[in-house]
Amino acid sequence: MAESFFLLIATFMPLLLSPVAYFLGKRAGLAAVTWFSFGVLVISTGLLFVPASMLNGGRTVYSESYPWGQFGNFGLRLDGLSLPFAIINYIWFTVLIIYSKPYMNRKIIDEARSRFGGGKSTESTSVARGPAYAADAERRNDTSGIANTESGSLTTTTIGVEEQRYVNSQLGLYFALFMVFAMGTLGMVLATNLIEFYVFFELVLLPSFFLISFFGYGSRQRTGLMFFFWTHAGSVVLLLGLLSIGFFAGGFDYSTVRAHVSQIPAQWMSIIIFAVVLGLGVKIGGFLLHSWVPSSVAGAPTPVSILLVGIATYGILRIWLDLLGGNYVQYSLYINIWGLATMIYGGAMALMQDDIRKVLAYSTISNMGYILFGLGSGSVLGVTGATLLYVTSGLGKAILFMMAGSISLQTGTTSMSKLGGLAGKMPYTAVLAMIGLLTLFGIPPTSGFMSEWILFNGVLQTGVHDANSLRIALFGFGMLTTVLSSAYLLWMYKRIFFGKIPQELVNIRDSGRYITITMAALAGLTLIIGVYPDPFLTPITTYIQGMFHNSPAVLPLPSSGGSGIAVPLAKNIMFKSGNGFSSNAVPNSAAQMERINSGGAFASH
Amino acid sequence: MVEITGFGGIAVNVWLVWILPFIGAAIIAGVARAGIKIRDYTAVGFALASAVSATTLIPLAFSNSEVHSQVNWIAVLHLKAGVLGDPLSVIMANLVAWISFLIFVYSTGYMHGERDLTRYWFFMLFFIGSMQLVVLSDNLLMLFFGWEGVGLASYALVGFWYTDRKKDFVGTEGHRAGGIAMWASPSHAGAKAFIMTKAGDTMMLAGMFLIFAYSGTFGFKELLQNQGWAVQMAHQNLLVPAAILLFGGAIGKSAQFPLNEWLLEAMTGPASVSALIHAATMVKAGVFLVARIAPLFFALAAFGMTQFFEVVAWVGAITAFLLASQAIANPEIKKVLAYSTGSQIGYMMMAIGIAGLSTNFAEGYTAGFFQLISHAMFKAALFMGAGALLHVVGSRFMTDMGGMRKYMRKTYIFMFLAAMSLAAAPLITLGFWSKDAIFAAVLGSGYVHSLPLFIMAFVVAIMTAFYTFRMIGMSFFGKKSPHLEELEKTGHHPHEVRPIVWVPFAILAVATIAIGVVGFAFGAQLQHIFADYLAKYFGITQQKQLQLLQNPATTTQLVKPHTDTKLFLGLNPYAAAASFGAFAIGGFLGYMFYIARKIDPQIISKNIVTRGIWKFLYNRWYLNSALYWGAVIGPVAIYRIIWRYFEFTVMEGISHAFEFSMASFSRVVKAGQTGITQTYLFVFGVGIMIIIMLLLL
Repeated sequence: MAESFFLLIATFMPLLLSPVAYFLGKRAGLAAVTWFSFGVLVISTGLLFVPASMLNGGRTVYSESYPWGQFGNFGLRLDGLSLPFAIINYIWFTVLIIYSKPYMNRKIIDEARSRFGGGKSTESTSVARGPAYAADAERRNDTSGIANTESGSLTTTTIGVEEQRYVNSQLGLYFALFMVFAMGTLGMVLATNLIEFYVFFELVLLPSFFLISFFGYGSRQRTGLMFFFWTHAGSVVLLLGLLSIGFFAGGFDYSTVRAHVSQIPAQWMSIIIFAVVLGLGVKIGGFLLHSWVPSSVAGAPTPVSILLVGIATYGILRIWLDLLGGNYVQYSLYINIWGLATMIYGGAMALMQDDIRKVLAYSTISNMGYILFGLGSGSVLGVTGATLLYVTSGLGKAILFMMAGSISLQTGTTSMSKLGGLAGKMPYTAVLAMIGLLTLFGIPPTSGFMSEWILFNGVLQTGVHDANSLRIALFGFGMLTTVLSSAYLLWMYKRIFFGKIPQELVNIRDSGRYITITMAALAGLTLIIGVYPDPFLTPITTYIQGMFHNSPAVLPLPSSGGSGIAVPLAKNIMFKSGNGFSSNAVPNSAAQMERINSGGAFASH
Repeated sequence: MVEITGFGGIAVNVWLVWILPFIGAAIIAGVARAGIKIRDYTAVGFALASAVSATTLIPLAFSNSEVHSQVNWIAVLHLKAGVLGDPLSVIMANLVAWISFLIFVYSTGYMHGERDLTRYWFFMLFFIGSMQLVVLSDNLLMLFFGWEGVGLASYALVGFWYTDRKKDFVGTEGHRAGGIAMWASPSHAGAKAFIMTKAGDTMMLAGMFLIFAYSGTFGFKELLQNQGWAVQMAHQNLLVPAAILLFGGAIGKSAQFPLNEWLLEAMTGPASVSALIHAATMVKAGVFLVARIAPLFFALAAFGMTQFFEVVAWVGAITAFLLASQAIANPEIKKVLAYSTGSQIGYMMMAIGIAGLSTNFAEGYTAGFFQLISHAMFKAALFMGAGALLHVVGSRFMTDMGGMRKYMRKTYIFMFLAAMSLAAAPLITLGFWSKDAIFAAVLGSGYVHSLPLFIMAFVVAIMTAFYTFRMIGMSFFGKKSPHLEELEKTGHHPHEVRPIVWVPFAILAVATIAIGVVGFAFGAQLQHIFADYLAKYFGITQQKQLQLLQNPATTTQLVKPHTDTKLFLGLNPYAAAASFGAFAIGGFLGYMFYIARKIDPQIISKNIVTRGIWKFLYNRWYLNSALYWGAVIGPVAIYRIIWRYFEFTVMEGISHAFEFSMASFSRVVKAGQTGITQTYLFVFGVGIMIIIMLLLL
C-alpha cells in the first residue's frame, strides 16, 4: 500500500468527476462547467507538484502501488522521466480548459446554427464566415432568445432556447471527454505496469476519437474513424510487443521486467523492440506512419490538436530505453535516420500548405522527427535533449495552435490565402505567436533553443566519439533542417500577419482575454525554461544518466572540469591526415605537448 | 593591474551594460501608457544609462585588466553564465553604447509621428541589449543568446513597416535578374535576413558543439586555460574545420560572401535601424566574434591554424571586392551604403585574417579593429544623413535627388565629412588611417599570397572612393531632378531637418575628422592597448611568434619571416602611397563624373562592354538570382513533386486503399446475405460436399 494518494487522486479525480462536468454543462451552462473543470485540473496539477517537490529534495522516485490481481501491481510512479511529461501535460490541459471556454462555445454555437437554423445558416459555418457571419448574427438579433455573452471581441450573440439547450449539452460532453483525455494521458505517463500502460494508452485514444468526431472540422466523422483505425492498428502491434515482454519476463510490472530483462531471447528482443517502436511510431507520426496526422490534427478542435500527437515518445523512452535497453546502441542509428527523414519531410510538406492547421500538423510531424532524432542519438545528452524537446516543442506548438484557433474565431478562416496583415489588428495574438514560432525553431531565449542545442550536441558527440562519419553527416543535415523549419514558420507568419489586410477583414479585433492570457501563460513558461531550464533539465538528466548507467556504449555526459568526451586518439574522423584540412603541425608526442603547454607556444599565463 | 572576479565592485557595471537595455525593453510597453513623450525619453534614458555604465569600464582598457564575473546556470552540464570585461570588449561596448545612444536621440526626431513606436523602441532596446550581451558574454553559449537576439531584433525592425506599402520597398520595381524579382517588401526582407543569418548560425552552432564535445565548456577563459581539447581536435583534424564553422556564423551575421545577399534587402527598415544595424549592432557582431576568437585560435598556432586565418582573410577580401563593385552601379542611396558596409567589413575580416598569417599579430588585429571603430562612426553618420535626405525627398533613389546641397546645407556638410572618411581622404580622416593600417598590415605580413590580397584591397579602395563621390555627387550636386521639381510644384519645398535629427550625425561626422587629425596617434595607442592585451592574456608577442616560425614543427609554408620596410614613425611607405593613390584615382573619377559633371555617365550605356559590365554589377553578379533558384525555387519545386506524387498519392492512397478494400469486402459479404433460405441451403450443401470430397481424397 502506498503512503499517500497524491498521484491516485490526481489521476482519477478528472475521470470520476467527468460525469459531473457533463451534467453541470447541460444544466448550468458554459461558465459553470469551465470553472468546475478548471478547478478539478488545477487541484490535480497541484497534487502532482507535491510529490514533484519531494523529488528535488534528494529522492529520485515517488511511487504509489496497489495490488492488481493477475497483472501484478497497479502503480503510479513519478520519477525523472515521467515528471516532465506529467507536469507539462497537466499544465496544458489546465490552460486549454480556459482556452476552450470561448473557443468551444463559439464553435458549438456555430454548429447549433447550422443544425437549427435551416438551410440559410449552413453557409455560416462554411469557410467564408467573416462578414457573412456578422450579417447573420444581426439578422438573428430580432428573434427572441437567451443572450449568450462571450468574453472578448465577438460581443453578444443571441441564440434561441432550443439551440442553447443543444449548446449546453454539447459543451458538457466536450468538457467531460476532455477530462477523461487528461486522465488517460497522466495515467499512461505514471503507469508502472505494461498492461496498465496499455489500458491508459487506449484511454487516451477513446476520448480523442470522440472529440474529433463530435467537435472536429470538415468531414470529421471520417477523420475520426481514420484516426481511430490508424492508431488502433498501432496499439495492437504495441500490445503484441507488450504481451511478449510480459511472457518472457514473467510479469508485467516494470520492476519485474527490469529484473528479468535478460531472460528475453535475443532474437525475440529485436522483434519486441520493432513491435513497440512501430506501434508507438504510429502515434508519434513518424515518417511513413504519419498519414493519419495531417487530417486528424488539422481536423480536431484546437485544444485536442495540441495534445493528439507526441505523448507516445514517452512510451519509447520508458519501454525501450528504460526497461528493455536492449539493442539500443545498435538500433539508435536507424531511429536517428528515421527522425531526420521525419524532420525534413514534415518541414517540406508544411511549406506546401495553405491552411494554417495543416502547416501546424506537418510542423508537428517535423517536431516529432526532432525528438526521434534525439532519441536515436545514442548519448545521454541527445536523449535528454529529446525529452526536453517534448516539453518545449509542445509549448511552441500549443501556442501556435492557439493562434490558429484565435484566428479562426476572429476571421472565420484558417486559409492563409484569405489572410494577411493581421499584426495590426490582432497585436497580442501576433506577439505571442511569434514567441511560439521562435520556440519551435529554436531561437533563444525561448525554451526551444535549450532543448535543441542539447539534442544536437548529443548527436554530434556520438558521431565524434564513434568516429562515425554517417552520424556526423546526419548531424549536419539536422542542423540544416532547422533552417527549413525557420523558413516554413516565418513564411507562414508573414502570410498571416504581414502585408496588406484583405478588405473583408478590416473590422476584426483581437481575441478576448481568455485566449490571450492562456497563450501568454504558455509563452511565459517557454521563456522561463529557455533562460533557466534547470527545474526540468536536472531531473531529466539525472534519470537518463542513471538509465544508461549500465550501458557503457551510450555516451555519458561530458565530465566536469572543462574536459570533454574522451576520444580515442587513434580514431580519425573525417579527414585522413594528408588530405583536406590536414595540418602538418600536430604535436604528437607527450613531450611536444608538454613544451606547448609550458610556454613553448603561446600558452603562458 | 588587478583582475577582478565575482560580483564585487565594477563587475556589476559590466552586467548592467547589457541588462539595462533589456529592462528598458521590458517596461517600455507599460511606460507607453503614461504618454508618448515619456516613452521616448525612457528609451533614450535606458540607452544612456547603459552607455554610462560602459564608460565606467574604460579604465579596464587602459590598465589592461579584466573583470570576470560568473553565476551558476545549467547545473547538470556544469555551465556558468558570466560576463567578461577585458580591453577588447570594453572598447567595443563603449562604441556600441554611445553610437546607439546617438541613434536613439536621432530616432526621437526621425521617427516622430510614426505609428507603433512602442514596438520600435522595444526592439531597439532589445537590439542593443543583445549586442552588448554578445560583446560582454564570457562564453559562446551565452554569446549565442545575444547573437540570436540581434538577429531577431533586426528581423523585427527590418520588417518594421509590415504592411508592405510600396514606398517602403527596396529595389527598382520591375527589375528582374535571371528571372528573380530584385525588389522586396519589408516583410520579405526581414524573413530573408533571418533565414540567411540562420544558415550561418547553424554553422556557428556546429562549430561550437564540436569544440564543446572536446572541451566540455563554452567559456573563452576556460578554453584558453586548458588546451587539451585542441590537442585532441588537432589530432583528428577537426580544429580547423571547427574554427571555420564558427567563422560561418560571422559570415552570416556580417553579410560576408556567400551569405551577403540579405544585407542589401535589409534596407527596408527605417534609416535609424539601418544605422544601428550597420554601425553598432548586427553586422558588427560577426566581426566582434572573429575578434573574440581569433586570438584564441592564434594562441593555438602550434596546431597549424593558418588555414583558418587564410579563409578569414580571403572571404573578407572577396566580399570587399564583390560588394564595392556592386555599389558602383546602384541608384539607391541606402543600398549604396549597405554595399559599402559589406565591403568595409570585408576589410576588417581581411585584416584580422592577415593578422594570423603575419609575424606581428597585434598589427593586423589592431588594423581590423581600428577599421571597425572608424567605420562604425562614419557609417552611422552617413545612414542618419541618408535618412534625413530620404525623409525630405520622399524617395530612396539618388536619381530623384540632385542639387540637394542648396536645401540641406547642414546635412550636406556633415554627410560630406563622413563620406570623406569612407573614401579615406588622406591624413585628416579616421577612415584614411584605418585603411592605411590595413594596407600596412597586409604588406607587412609574411603571408606568401599577400600581394594579391594587397592588390584586391587597393582596387577596393579605388572603388570605394569612386562610389562615395558618386553618392555625394548624385544627391547633393548637379541639377534638380524631375521628382524634386514635381515636389516643389505641389508645394513641398525641400528644407533642412530639425536639429534633433542632424545634431547626432553632426557629432559623429565631426568626431571622425577630429580623431582623424590625430588619427595616427590614435591608431598607435590602440595598437599599444591591443598588443598589451594580447601579450598578457594570450601570450602573443612578437618574440614568441618569431620563435614559433623558426621551429620547423610548428611552421607552415604559408608564413615566412619577413622584414618590413618602415618609414619613420613606423609608417609603411608603400601602404601610405597606395592609400593616397586609391583616393586620388577613385576620387578623381567620381569627381569628374558626378560632381564637376565633366563626363556624362551616360557614356557607359553607349558601349556594349561597359554596358554589359554595368548590367552585371547592377544585377549583383546574379548572385541573388542564383541564391533564389538554388535555395528557394529549386527545393520548393522538389517538395511540390513529393507533395503531389508521394504524400498525396501514396500516403493518402494507403488510407483510401484500405477504405476501399474494406468496403469491397463488405460488399462481397453483403451479397451473400440474401435472406433466401434456398440459397443458404444450397451453399451449405455444396460446402458439405466439398469437405467430404476433400476428406475422401
